[in-house]
Amino acid sequence: MGCQHLEELHELWLLGALSEQSSRDLREHLARGCPHCLARVREATEMVYLLGLGSKPARPHPRVKAQLLNKVSHKTAPHG
Amino acid sequence: MSKELPPEDLLNRMARQDVAALGELYDRYAPRVYGLITRILPTPEAAEEVLQEVFLRLWSEGRSLSQEGGSVVAWLVVSARAAAVDRLRGLPPGGPIASPRVDKARIVKAPDASARKAKGAAAVKSLEGKPEALKPRPAEGAATPAKRPFPPAWLPLPKEITLIDDRLMLLHKAINQLPEPQRQALDLAVYGGRSGAEIGTEMGEPLGKAQRSLRAAVTFVKHRRRAVCGTWAANI
Repeated sequence: MGCQHLEELHELWLLGALSEQSSRDLREHLARGCPHCLARVREATEMVYLLGLGSKPARPHPRVKAQLLNKVSHKTAPHG
Repeated sequence: MSKELPPEDLLNRMARQDVAALGELYDRYAPRVYGLITRILPTPEAAEEVLQEVFLRLWSEGRSLSQEGGSVVAWLVVSARAAAVDRLRGLPPGGPIASPRVDKARIVKAPDASARKAKGAAAVKSLEGKPEALKPRPAEGAATPAKRPFPPAWLPLPKEITLIDDRLMLLHKAINQLPEPQRQALDLAVYGGRSGAEIGTEMGEPLGKAQRSLRAAVTFVKHRRRAVCGTWAANI
């Protein structure tokens, strides 16, 4: 099956704004390895990135980083 | 003068269990990621949890990401947005593709749906810089998404993201040229995780008109990005 009918949907899909049926169509099409749609998904990812940067940066509380590194360190600590 | 390491070098170090490399990636990108999350989620507590969740996933998926060579900052931003939107919808953590809304009947029946409709454009307007306008959705109204690992092959290359970063002001200036209804529809989709149908409800517009606004906005931004970043394709 061709993918012309999916041409304008990749960005909406990544944004989660498609209907379940259209999302399923696109997922199944991608799973078949369409190189054109793979390139379009990469392009759509760039666009979601661009749109996501429309918000101002904000500095999280230092506690968040400390907790994150603490959790990760525990995961990597040698046992015994 | 020391030169800043490319993020992908840090990712490679992190993939080899280098905790300090994760810390450097966090220092560099957490403000960008947290800024996005706080625009989506109503409380700092929820935003901090999602921020931490995203970086923990980066830690656990770092190896596959580094092998594919995709942009780590693109992964962070796209994953953070999807995780925050899923949290907003009351969904459990799923993956970097925000789940499509699947049960429209429940949306209409949601306790605050009629109030949102009545507020219409005013409610949309309040989204800008005021994430508290977006209330978390009740979990009972949402379907549990399947786990959706984001294939690293879907990520753009670092050089493509660098191109966007270099021309970000120009690109955002172009986005600001969108007609107001399209801009509102796009904001609701990006920062509210709303579907076309929900956007229609929130803006007090017919479904078809809202969907057309959203699609037009997406097409406009896509073509502007192609023009500004020099990747204009023939299929326009």
